[in-house]
Parts: sequence; structure tokens; C-alpha cells
Amino acid sequence: MSSPTQTQTEPTRETGETRVARLQGVWNEYLPVWFTAPMVLVMVLITFFPGAYNLYLSLIDEPTLNVFQAEFVGLSNFEAAFTLAGATHSLVITLTLVASALLLETVLGFGLAALVAGVDSDRLQSFYRILFIIPMAVAPVSLATIGRIMLNSEVGIIPYLIETTTPFAAPAFLSEMPLLTVILLDTWNWTPFMFIIFYAGLSSVPETLLEASRVDGAPLWRRYVHVIIPYMKPVVFVATLIRMIDLFRTFGVVYGLTQGGPGTATQLVSINIYEQMFINVQTTVAAAIAVVYLVMVIAICNIVIAKVGFKGVWD
Amino acid sequence: MATTDIEPGSSQRLDTDTRETVVTVVRHAVLLTWSVIVLFPLYWLASMSLKPPSEVNALPPDWIFLPTVYNYIQLLQNPDFIAAFTNSLVMVSASVVLVLLIGVPAAYVLSRYDVPMERDVLVWILSSRMLPPIAVVLPFFIVYRELNLFDTRIGMIFMYVSINLSLVIWVMKAFFDGIPETLEEAARVDGATRFQGFRKVVLPAAKPGIFSVAIISFIFAWIELLFGLMLTSFEAVPVTLFVYSFIGSRSIEWGMLAAASMSMIVPVAIFLVAVNRYLAAGLSFGVVLKE
Repeated sequence: MSSPTQTQTEPTRETGETRVARLQGVWNEYLPVWFTAPMVLVMVLITFFPGAYNLYLSLIDEPTLNVFQAEFVGLSNFEAAFTLAGATHSLVITLTLVASALLLETVLGFGLAALVAGVDSDRLQSFYRILFIIPMAVAPVSLATIGRIMLNSEVGIIPYLIETTTPFAAPAFLSEMPLLTVILLDTWNWTPFMFIIFYAGLSSVPETLLEASRVDGAPLWRRYVHVIIPYMKPVVFVATLIRMIDLFRTFGVVYGLTQGGPGTATQLVSINIYEQMFINVQTTVAAAIAVVYLVMVIAICNIVIAKVGFKGVWD
Repeated sequence: MATTDIEPGSSQRLDTDTRETVVTVVRHAVLLTWSVIVLFPLYWLASMSLKPPSEVNALPPDWIFLPTVYNYIQLLQNPDFIAAFTNSLVMVSASVVLVLLIGVPAAYVLSRYDVPMERDVLVWILSSRMLPPIAVVLPFFIVYRELNLFDTRIGMIFMYVSINLSLVIWVMKAFFDGIPETLEEAARVDGATRFQGFRKVVLPAAKPGIFSVAIISFIFAWIELLFGLMLTSFEAVPVTLFVYSFIGSRSIEWGMLAAASMSMIVPVAIFLVAVNRYLAAGLSFGVVLKE
């Protein structure tokens, strides 16, 4: 027992084991800390930093990293941003795009999901489901490609089909109704997102609820109004909130399709900021617009969350 | 029961039968219309990518033509395309792995522990998605230049993580909420530590959620244009930028442009079809728990 070799090895092995055990204990006891620390770090970097940095840039004369060299100019960048030609115009068309695309995608997505969920054959149902989510795979840049190819007034197939099969003259989509074209393309692209979420929600409505209303002899529309839609409220809320947030980010499809034009017809706020920054090289003015836009989007989202609320989503 | 039902109910039965037939016909008419709306642009893009240059812009269109892979061969011989495609594949995949490693454990904690001001934390997390990328990119553009992260894959990977983190956390939090806590408690009674319970019990149960959030994250990073446009110049250019450079050029080679767009769509479409079974369950934000 007390031989020298044993007394030498035993304590080291024991401390080794206890150290591992202690580390394991610390690992498990502070699990929430280790599990959230990277997330918190990244979140701070991607929320507070850009917010604060944009605010700083919007208040100075020339962009510089060194705070001590910066020349603060008060609110003059904001003044420039607001008096800029087309500032309110770009805000109005951004809101138009967000509101109309959101409405179209929600209604279409729900309608299609309801129709597919009611298909009798399982095979056919999954066929439609797969087919209908495919447009989500199309990048805005590729969507712009499709738009440019198919809507081109000289070589596009859609104007050609309109001219040959109807008595109407085809509109010049990209020059006469660019914003509507963008809205319709976005609807084609992102209705699938709403569709798949609503479809999931619809297939989760408990059978017992539906059974009960069927026994009561409620017609289909009544079942929707009184049973299915109330049950779906949380799903609809989360889906539209996330889609709305993403619509405010719209950039790629417009940039690829019209670059904000013709004129300023599709100059969304995001395109406007991009142009101020990279074409006019007015970095600080661009930052001022970004700050205003940021505050606006966050305010709108918070109002929506507060008004419609989390009620029923998770509690 | 059945025999007594037939006599008085027969006329009413006929009524509901015809109504059901009408509903079915209308249903499939609408669904087929939407199928055409979905498929026609994709078919047109694909057919243009397979037409020889002489036929690409022919009007009336050549509905019947001999497909050629000419455009794809041209594309594959373009080293810029290969580089951009590889860049996107590497950067986007790495960002998905990273965002899952960061987001999934955080979502687990938000689901299982009493996090102070949980609702505010969730809204804060979502607010990272409310920041328009154009407003995010300017500070990073300037700082990346200072830190030599401009035009690097690492820099782009971080930006892709930033787009998707909030969605991963929201979807996975809802998913974990739907997994009964008793499962882990049982494992802990058997002597498993908290971490083991997470790794061996909760994670496997959350697989559909992880699959679908991974594919959605992949898509959002894959289609991103703005970050590539502003944070890369040569080395780390993503494939979106390559396609865009076609659109921007003065004389557009329609066939090549169509082929380049198809090369972006096809891999993602295959992915989507492969995981479509999980997608519905995964994107349900905790409201769907069956299947």
C-alpha cells in the first residue's frame, strides 16, 4: 500500500481525475453561459456596432476611424439626407413595395396552402408542395435575370405572348410599370415561403377540432373563419413579421432589374443609400439616411409586435 | 344505421356530392394555374440556357429546338465563374455550420432555462434582422479595410452568419419548446449530465428543425448580393456577383446569363426537394408538433 511508487502515482492520477471531474462540473453548471456566450458576442457585433458606428458617421464631416480626428457637424448630414431630392419618394415606394408584396404573398400563400392541404391524394399533395416551394431557390439576381429575359420589350416572351394572343398592346414592363413589376416578381419569388409555413400550420390543426365542427354541420368557410384561422393566428403573425422584415431589406432584385430606375421609379431606400455611398461618395450622408431608416424599420416592427403581440405565439 | 340513412338522405347526398366535385375541379384548376406560373419562368430560363446563340432571341420563339450545352461549356471554361462558384460554396457552407454551432445551443438555453427578460432578448435577436443590410455593411466595410478582412472568405463568412443567426435561434427555440423536457429528465435520472442530455437526447429529436433551418440559412446566404458587392473585390467574390456582372455588362449574352442563373438555382432546388419532408415541420415556429 505504502510503497513509494504507488504513493507517487496515486495522487497525480487522483488530481488528474478530479480536475477533469471539476472541469466537467464547471462545464455543466455554467452550461447556459457557454452556450450563449458566442451568440451574445456575435449579436453585439452585428447590432450595437453597426448602429453606433452609423450614428457616429452620421454626425461627422469626413469618415475616419479615429474619434479624436473627427469633426462633428451636428445634424447637417441629416438635413442633407432629408432635403435630398427623392428622399421622401424612396421612402414612399419602399413602403408601397413592403405593404403590397406582403399582402399579396400572405393571401396567396394562405390560399394555396389551404387548397393543397385539401387535396385528397397524398402523392398529389406532396407533388404540389414540392413544386410550389421551388421559386424560393431562385436568388434575387437570377430573378432579375428572368425578369430581364422574359419581360424585355424587344425579345421577351411575355410581351410577345400578350401581343399575339390578346388584342392588347403589351406594356413596357420595366420602363412603364417598374415598381409593379418588382412587386409581382417578389411575389413569385417569396409566396413559397408563406405557403410552406401556412401549409405546416394548416396540417397541424388538431383533427378533433375539425371533427367537432364537421359534426356540427358547419360549412367549409365557417370552419375556416371560426376554427382554422383563429388557430393559425400565431403562425400567420410570425410568418408575416419575418417576411415584412425581409421585404424592408429588398435590394438584389431591384439592383439587378432596374438599378433603381428608370429615373428614380424604383429607388428604394436601400438603393438610395447604396448610391449615396458608392456613386456620390457621400458616406456620412448615406450613414444619416441609414440611421433614419434603421430607426424607422425597428419602430415599425416593434409597433407590430406590441399591437399584434406575442400573445399565443409562445405563451 | 346505414340502411336508415339512405332513404331520406339521398337527395341531400347528391347535393353534397356535386358540390364536392365542383370544389375539387376549382381546386385543381387554381393549383394547376399556379403550377404553370411557377414553372413557366423556370422552363423559359432553362430553355434559353440550352439554346444555341442564334436561337436565343428568336421571336416567334423556337418552341422545338435541339438543346445544346454550349452555354454551360462556355461557363465552365470561365475561370472567374469556377472561382466564384467555389467561393460561394465554401463560404456559404462554412457559415451554415458556424451559425448552427452558435445558434442551436443558444436556442436550447432560451428554451430550457429561465432567461431574464426572455421576450426582450428574443426581440433583440430578431432586431438584428431588422437592420437593413445596407445600413450594416457600411461600418463593416470601413472596419474590414482596417482589419484586412476586406475581400476575404473569413470576412464574408461572418457576414453570412450575421444574416442567419436570428432565424436559427427563433426557429430552433420554438422547436426545442416542442420537445418534452421529460425526455432529458429521464436521461439525467439515468446519470447523464446536462450536456449529455442535450447532445444525446434533445439534438436527435430536433433533427427536422436543424435540417430545415440549415437549408433556409444556406439559401439566404447563397442568394445574398449586397455583402459580396461591397465587401469583396476579387478574391472572395460570390457567385451572385458573377451573375450580376453579366447583367451589368452592356451587350448581354442571354444564353450565358441564363446558364449562370441556372447554375445558381439547380443546386438549391435539389436541396429543397431533398429536405422538403422536413421543411414543413421545421418552419412551423413551434406550432406544428406532429409528423
